[in-house]
Amino acid sequence: MNNEEIFEEVKQQNRTALLEHESKEILRNIGVSVPPSKLVQSTEEAVNKAKEFGFPVVMKLMSANVLHKTDAGAVTIGIRNEEEVVEVFNDYMLRFKDVEIAGVLIEKMVKKGLELIIGTQDDETFGPVLLFGVGGVLVEAIKDVVFRMCPATKKQALSAIHEIKATVLLDGFRGMPKVNKDELADMIVKLSELAWENRKYIAEMDINPIIANEDGLFPVDARIILQ
Amino acid sequence: MVSKLENFFNAKTFCVVGASTTPNKPGNVVAYNFVHSFPGKTFLVNPRGGELYGQKLYKSVLEIEEPIDAACLIVPAKYAPQSLEECGKKGIKNIIVTTGGFAEIGEEGIRLQQQMFEIMKSYEINVIGPNCLGIYSPSLGFDTMFLPKSKLNRPKAGPVSIFTQSGAFGAAFIDQLSRLGTARWVSKFISYGNASDINETDSLEYVGDDPDTQMILIYLEDFKEGREFMEKAREISLKKPIMGIKANRTETGAKAGASHTAALSSNDAIVDDLLEDAGIIRVITWDQLEDCVLAFGTQPLPLDDRVAIVTDGGGAGVMASDMVSDCNLKLAEFSEVVQKKLDETFPSFFATGNPIDLTGSATAEDYRIAFEIIYDDPNVDSIVNLCIPVIPDLDISEYINITKEFAKRDKKPFVTALVGGDEADYASKELMKEDIPVFPSPGRAVRALGMLTDYTRYLQKHGIDPKQIDVEEGK
Repeated sequence: MNNEEIFEEVKQQNRTALLEHESKEILRNIGVSVPPSKLVQSTEEAVNKAKEFGFPVVMKLMSANVLHKTDAGAVTIGIRNEEEVVEVFNDYMLRFKDVEIAGVLIEKMVKKGLELIIGTQDDETFGPVLLFGVGGVLVEAIKDVVFRMCPATKKQALSAIHEIKATVLLDGFRGMPKVNKDELADMIVKLSELAWENRKYIAEMDINPIIANEDGLFPVDARIILQ
Repeated sequence: MVSKLENFFNAKTFCVVGASTTPNKPGNVVAYNFVHSFPGKTFLVNPRGGELYGQKLYKSVLEIEEPIDAACLIVPAKYAPQSLEECGKKGIKNIIVTTGGFAEIGEEGIRLQQQMFEIMKSYEINVIGPNCLGIYSPSLGFDTMFLPKSKLNRPKAGPVSIFTQSGAFGAAFIDQLSRLGTARWVSKFISYGNASDINETDSLEYVGDDPDTQMILIYLEDFKEGREFMEKAREISLKKPIMGIKANRTETGAKAGASHTAALSSNDAIVDDLLEDAGIIRVITWDQLEDCVLAFGTQPLPLDDRVAIVTDGGGAGVMASDMVSDCNLKLAEFSEVVQKKLDETFPSFFATGNPIDLTGSATAEDYRIAFEIIYDDPNVDSIVNLCIPVIPDLDISEYINITKEFAKRDKKPFVTALVGGDEADYASKELMKEDIPVFPSPGRAVRALGMLTDYTRYLQKHGIDPKQIDVEEGK
């Protein structure tokens, strides 16, 4: 499906929040690469996909009723073998038997790294603005973020990257991997363009965390909220 | 395309509607201003007729036979719609409504303003206001500021254009500039009040294109066209410095939302970053704004961030050094030749590093020698001249002359802080008579340099040579 079709479908179902697998499909559509993942409906399918991606994997429950997945215990990381895949799948089906579920998202687990956030927000004064900064669960506590207007140019994206206080962490701080700022800036530009071009649909967007490790940049969670 | 404000500032015939014969009433002051300063033709309107300042008072704009380019309405809010309608019928396309009592007072006012808006639309009138001071340009002779000169003094023509949402801020700042140095500061002043039509973005566009405007000073509380404003600012800030206050920093907090981004998107966090990204130097306090005018209006931009400090007091030097790092500046490391010369020239009890501490034994001549040695050092981008004039051997007149000379050399920014009582005040006043930037504390002097340097950095980031920007040219 193209982006507009996804937005329209979600609207028709009277939802304002895209599920993670839908948000990630949007990211793929605009050329932002995300870790390999697949929405599955059965234990067999889950096991097959896990084997295809290679362990360890992550499993997340996709449901319009469970938007704060971590809080609800609907995210399981570090799954190392087939038995654990089956166990987690069955556990989800049992615990969430009363809610409507779209399936289970099975995803190749990304190695640890620096956690970043790229977000957008349709501001009442400036229209779509983008946010870039230190991500993860502590994002609101750390507040090391910078705003730009959407759509941002690459130059603006690069200046945003240099403006956060933790910018030194991106340069290979104390043995940490160096972040490819060029690639990161491209990602910021693409997301800012997405928010601008789809401003009649997108109210808010959180790509958080984006894990930066020695292998590259990986958006591991994505949330898009519609107008 | 001609910007809306150009039509106001290009007007050749101007009409004051509500010209009052009662001294010091707003309608009287504005009539006085135009009759005495406006080089074009002024028409005065008062329904009672008669005469004012040797000019006929027309009973209605419709009685005037000649075409009118622009007008100022100074009538009570309840009569304003009718008055505006008559101006529309007369074919006046550019109108300033200074009167208050509209959207800012609540429901009834909002209704009146809406009524005005509809008349404005149907006659295609451009409106400044309501609830504002209107416009002021000493060189072009426009002055709709309805406060008499005995209360609100007027600065003279200069390089700075100002636009403001708040009329009270505008009045105070204009008055302030009238006693800042030679008072030669203002190119265009625009107070647009409730912004029923002309707003911050129109104002920015106009002064950005105006060849007589060398720097732009703003006071905003909110944006009517935020996105357009930032886009225009980004272009204009590469040609002339824009600085100012965006007040109302705490009113709008972040809205509750489903994402971290929404939770972090407080209005001011966004504004702050977007202003910086657009090259606008944001200041927080009123005194910083005056410091901006002094620094940008009299000194060249530095080419880099290395500061040299000359002082006669250790404490002042240390405080200035602290502010150097607070403002992301660096203390210059003198080049070898310069350092050697300093060491050889001064007695061993002077500190010849940076800050150069001439100590309590300093004479004015010592200041001159120090400045002469360091001024052309390629490692020095800007100079801070600190003086606590209480010391016994310092000839204050000589010190004043030396300071004037170096501040006027114009190759590097040179700022002065004079700290103390009557002697410091006296020296500051003497210097300010020639617009030599002098500040009452080391911190303010360094902070002024910090703002100049921030702008240099912004220009350099965008591939522009700061030498191209010359604000003083307009003086």
